[in-house]
Amino acid sequence: MALVDASLFASTDPVALQGSSCSACGTQVFPAQGSCPTCTSVSVSPVALPTEGTVWSWTTQHFAPKAPFRTDGFVPFSIGYVDLGPVIVEGWLLNKTDWHIGERVRLELAKAWTEDDGTVVHTYGFAATS
Amino acid sequence: MSAAKSHDEVYIVGGGMTAFGRFDGEDQALAEEAMRGALADAGLSWNDVDIAVGGTNGETKPDNMVGRMGLSGIPFTTVKNGCATGGVALMTARNGLIAEQSDIACVVGYDNHSRGAFAASPSRYGIGEWYGATGMMVTTSYFALKIRRYLHEHGIDERTLGYASQKAFDYGSSHPLAWRRKPVSVDEALESDMINDPLTRFMFCSPDAGAVSLILARGPRAFDLCENPVRLAAAVLRGRRPGSFEVFSPWLSPGERTGPSIDAAKAAFAIAGIAAADVDVAQLQDTDSGAEIIHLGETGLCVDGEQGAGYVNGDYVIDGRLPVNTDGGCLANGEPVGASGLRQVHEVMRQLQGRAQGQQVPNNPRIGFTHVYGAPGISACTVLVKEGKGA
Repeated sequence: MALVDASLFASTDPVALQGSSCSACGTQVFPAQGSCPTCTSVSVSPVALPTEGTVWSWTTQHFAPKAPFRTDGFVPFSIGYVDLGPVIVEGWLLNKTDWHIGERVRLELAKAWTEDDGTVVHTYGFAATS
Repeated sequence: MSAAKSHDEVYIVGGGMTAFGRFDGEDQALAEEAMRGALADAGLSWNDVDIAVGGTNGETKPDNMVGRMGLSGIPFTTVKNGCATGGVALMTARNGLIAEQSDIACVVGYDNHSRGAFAASPSRYGIGEWYGATGMMVTTSYFALKIRRYLHEHGIDERTLGYASQKAFDYGSSHPLAWRRKPVSVDEALESDMINDPLTRFMFCSPDAGAVSLILARGPRAFDLCENPVRLAAAVLRGRRPGSFEVFSPWLSPGERTGPSIDAAKAAFAIAGIAAADVDVAQLQDTDSGAEIIHLGETGLCVDGEQGAGYVNGDYVIDGRLPVNTDGGCLANGEPVGASGLRQVHEVMRQLQGRAQGQQVPNNPRIGFTHVYGAPGISACTVLVKEGKGA
């Protein structure tokens, strides 16, 4: 499957995001990086992040962002921060444009855009669980 | 000699500012106009300047201004720190005067941006291209996400956003150099086109053009040049710590929130030996209406959550408890990034000296405060104190 950036994902089936976890202080970050911004340690290892959480904040993007944004055709879409427990991750909020803080969501793959050769590129997003 | 006239004190003794808005010419023509205005205001010529600091977010080189102003051979430092550029330029000039034991510094900030929201490149911020490609490298969505959370945590009504816009355009409408001069009602602000929920069109500032220059003088020299020099009692720059919520952040850490504005303001008040409650007039980074509301709390100028009642009660208007953004702030002036922080200081300087170009804060204000905030999570704050005759 074509992905916006394969390094964001620990796996795609089932889908999980890949962060990194600091062995010194336990801080988890996303995407994974080679150092810990909290305690400055370089002893970090990849970790698959939890896939369910709650909406921590949200907005709906009502205008098409400038390049390098890519789309097959702009329609307003929601972006939010999702509290996954050890880390709060920013991502698309899928399938609707009106949300409330505290709403339960689950990680999913989402279509980002189609390449000229027809390849569909996917990113991650969060959908309401009920 | 009083302590306030010590050689380690730096004062603002003059300022010059262009009109803000759209501009067809070269950005350095704007910078020259501001610099010549500042020199005239201080009663100096370019040959009197010992050091200079310039900032812009554009492509031209501020230190090339010597080609227009005069090849006097002085050290000219260039800074580039996003929306905090003006604050950093001022701090750099102050530190330079003390370190080099020089007398006179010229600070300039300018920009001439094209229309529309800034397009930011993920790689410049150490983020993968995916972040921009999926539409998350957008400053307006960050502002919306941040104020949504802040309003939620502190129980502030969304209508407060409309009050902040109404206040900004009210003061912009009476300032001769402001860009947006048309008053907007609370309801008009709330009902204008939605950009990023909960922020509407009238709740955002736009990039535009403008330049501001300030002349600083060290020690007793300031009192020779100016009847009411404004002492730079503190000029502090701080970066982000774990727990801050910054623009272009794919992740945040859970738990206690921190912020560079909280740290910079706290340090500035401590260095100045002045309490936030003593401030008579303030300028806060209001890239959007929400930012002014957040920064009132983060800088300690009010208690988090108090803003809802504060705006309704008129606490932050010209004759209120704490007048904020008395020239209309970024909302009414737009944001030429390099100039914006210096516009704030210029406005506060004039308010303290009783020569505001727009509406004047009554009752002889003596203590001012300015705050800028920029990507990727830095803040610069100043505490300004009027000295000299009548202070």
